[in-house]
Amino acid sequence: MATNRLTRNGIAMTGLVIVAFYLAIIVVSLFWLPFDPVTMDTQHLLEAPSLATGHVFGTDEFGRDILSRIMKGCSVSLIISIFATALGAVFGTFMGIWAGYLGGRWDHWIMRVADVLFSFPSLLLAIFVMSILGEKTFNVVFAIGIVYIPQFARISRGAILTIKSNEFVRAARSNGASSSFILFRHLLPNILVPLIVQVSLSLSVAVLLESSLSFLGLGVQPPAPSWGNMLSGARKVMVIAPWTAIYPGFAIVLLVLGFNLLGDGLRDILDPRLRNVR
Amino acid sequence: MSDESILRVEGLVTQFRTEYGLVKAVDGVSFELRRGETLGLVGESGCGKSVTNLSILKLIQSPPGKIAGGRVIFQGRDLLAAPEEEVRVLRGKNISMIFQDPLTSLNPVLRVSVQIAEALQLHHGLGKREAKAKAIEMLKLIGIPDPERRADDYPHQFSGGMRQRVMIAMALSCDPDILIADEPTTALDVTIQAQILDLIKNLTARNKTAVIMITHDLGVVAGMCDSICVMYAGRIVERASVDDLFYDPKHPYTRGLLDSIPRVDRAAAYGRDGPERLYSIPGSPPSLVDMPDCCPFHPRCAHAMDICRSSYPPETRLEGSAPRTVNCWLHVEEKRR
Repeated sequence: MATNRLTRNGIAMTGLVIVAFYLAIIVVSLFWLPFDPVTMDTQHLLEAPSLATGHVFGTDEFGRDILSRIMKGCSVSLIISIFATALGAVFGTFMGIWAGYLGGRWDHWIMRVADVLFSFPSLLLAIFVMSILGEKTFNVVFAIGIVYIPQFARISRGAILTIKSNEFVRAARSNGASSSFILFRHLLPNILVPLIVQVSLSLSVAVLLESSLSFLGLGVQPPAPSWGNMLSGARKVMVIAPWTAIYPGFAIVLLVLGFNLLGDGLRDILDPRLRNVR
Repeated sequence: MSDESILRVEGLVTQFRTEYGLVKAVDGVSFELRRGETLGLVGESGCGKSVTNLSILKLIQSPPGKIAGGRVIFQGRDLLAAPEEEVRVLRGKNISMIFQDPLTSLNPVLRVSVQIAEALQLHHGLGKREAKAKAIEMLKLIGIPDPERRADDYPHQFSGGMRQRVMIAMALSCDPDILIADEPTTALDVTIQAQILDLIKNLTARNKTAVIMITHDLGVVAGMCDSICVMYAGRIVERASVDDLFYDPKHPYTRGLLDSIPRVDRAAAYGRDGPERLYSIPGSPPSLVDMPDCCPFHPRCAHAMDICRSSYPPETRLEGSAPRTVNCWLHVEEKRR
């Protein structure tokens, strides 16, 4: 079964362990943090990492503990990524499956709108949306979600097109099923595999996008910690205090790597065409 | 068998718009179905058998398909004129269908119990529990061993013959008035075919369900049907009771079809180029694009006359044990003489 193949797939397992590690950090950060992530401490500005002071990853230009800020930022980044991906996946899939199923004029217009959204580079589109909506944490979810809508629409439409001509669709129709019944009961479960894979790959890009927006000052607003705005602050002091940039950067890289490995692994596991290749 | 008519198809015309032109897949088909009757619809591939029946339930993809004329009278209503929602409610409940290929007619990701009970859920609002109980009952009825356990299986865990049984259970779960079976045994082993046909026969007899059996296999028709309509190029060319048709076919095309059945005892009788050749009607079915007004069978007909090339023969009534008609100039002449 799928669980079995998951545990035997090294790539997917590595990804899963990394993601689980981050989730564990979120849980821990809810109850305990080494230091308060927002309180400034003028006694310990830009302190190098050291076990003696308790600042394991050092402190930033305001004397805040970097480890605490990374831990706190973890939940911000992950939660935004998860909600944004969910938003894009739900709306994009909904649009895509109706476009694919109805075909004709509906298909044409829905996919043209998706094409227009697709023609913008993701970050540019996200910046555009943020500048319209204003710089609030919730709006980051919305900005990234909009970037994802056309991607999910395309994938789900393509998947629906390949299965909607199956005889079982006609059989369901001859049984008295309505279009929405056919779509959600019969067709949607059939296209879950590519969607699951896309969700996990999208999560990794969402982490990057959120960090980019926060880095540019459009995303999570200081003093609330996010990996992006930590890097942004580190930009000015990076040369004299490299730890301010290295650790948040590493946090981003590792999480993105984790989601990507998980996504790739899931594709290998769930896609029957790639099975037994090796 | 009562004489109560439950379905009347009058002058049905279904067309498809293609890049080559307008295809008249069904061109003026009329027939009547009585309660409990089994009607065979016979003809070569592409003669419009399936399209006729998909049109009855308004299941034609549109575009490119279009039901361009005719009436389908069911329960005193013309289905072709009725709104989609009204027809949808009838599908599966009053008129249901079985399709040719049991391998693709079941959704691979849904448990069979869910699929069998689907029509019941849709039409009678059954809850999950009741639906499953009913599905198990249906599985028992169609002779699946250990139905309680098999109900939770997925279609790929069933063999082809069993899947076709499941399809039959699906189609009959609401005790419909009419079952349309579109080549139900074409994709199955010969040994399984008889079982499936028996099953259809027995289950439909319970509630006097009328059956429209679409097939190109005359053997199936002989064992199952009360009367037969032979279709050619989108039209019904001959209709008769099974006995009349088999013992005394009137249309040259029907005769050709009957002669095409391979017979073990007469394997060599028709051979022209050697003893092992099987008989087939010469030529191939005509293209249905922009059909001229002639008998579409005349290029392949041994009895073709001048008039066959210039106009389509009218329907001629003949003597028979059941209403019997034929569309062929040979018989028009006969009557005039």
